[in-house]
Amino acid sequence: MESLYIEPSEFTPRVFFDPVNSVFEISGFSRPENVVGFYKPILKWLEDYNDLVLSKNTEFNKSNLVINLKMTYFNSASSKFLLDILLEFMKFHSKGNSIEINWFYDEDDDEILESGEEIADMINYSFNFIPISPNS
Amino acid sequence: MEKKEVLISHYGPLSYEEIGFLLNKMTAILDRYAFGITVKKKVYAAMVESLENIYKHQDLITGNTNYLPKFNLQLDDKYICLSVSNSVLNGKIFALKDRLNKVNLLDRNGLKEYYKEIILSGNVSQKGGAGLGIVNIAKVTENKLDYTFDEIDSNHSYFTLKIKVLHNTTQL
Repeated sequence: MESLYIEPSEFTPRVFFDPVNSVFEISGFSRPENVVGFYKPILKWLEDYNDLVLSKNTEFNKSNLVINLKMTYFNSASSKFLLDILLEFMKFHSKGNSIEINWFYDEDDDEILESGEEIADMINYSFNFIPISPNS
Repeated sequence: MEKKEVLISHYGPLSYEEIGFLLNKMTAILDRYAFGITVKKKVYAAMVESLENIYKHQDLITGNTNYLPKFNLQLDDKYICLSVSNSVLNGKIFALKDRLNKVNLLDRNGLKEYYKEIILSGNVSQKGGAGLGIVNIAKVTENKLDYTFDEIDSNHSYFTLKIKVLHNTTQL
């Protein structure tokens, strides 16, 4: 299956879903003018990924999926879609695939850390919270 | 007398690009004052949610330029104050007041629970509104939201939302 790559813009995040290495990354800033138009294709890609890749795996060959979220800011409409994306991954988890969710945040940015904690609580799953030093 | 400085003042239609321009202007000004990242992000979030609400839901009155969108950002010794106004259909006032009064009754944990309840149950409309904006403003700014509805005519009112972000805890 083809990977999904969306170039970042001033108002939208970089998206790179790599089905070969099972690494899924969303990073940057999210305040799209058309939030539905931006996020719906990502959710559609995940549905296809489930149908074309994960559902073909045997019981002894389940995937280890790594999700890296490196957001600097997202508005409330985007938060709804980030949640929907993670809920898709939780469906994969319930089918026996292992999931690791890494939430990266600027170590001075309490707001983005707290947003991550709230989303982890909403999907009832533990995240790895990884601070990034502004100078690193 | 309390010193109040106007940082940004805007009156007129709000496009998506105009909102971006105002956000960049705010960021540059708050950088000049050397505010910390938490204060800047709180103001940023409150501005995005309130201005996007206008962009997505304003009910403009044809031929009347007296009640166009208005935005002011002011600074006093203790708070950064945002004031955001736009015309709305009178039929929307009840639901808006209901949500504003509800968020003003909730504490921080209550607001988090309310946000969670809406996000897990609500659908995002085609305009991209998730019904989360006002709750998010209250949650992020940690202050009660002041508001007024001034009647314009039998169909419209001018809605003003006033938001405060604490920037100086030594003044408490």
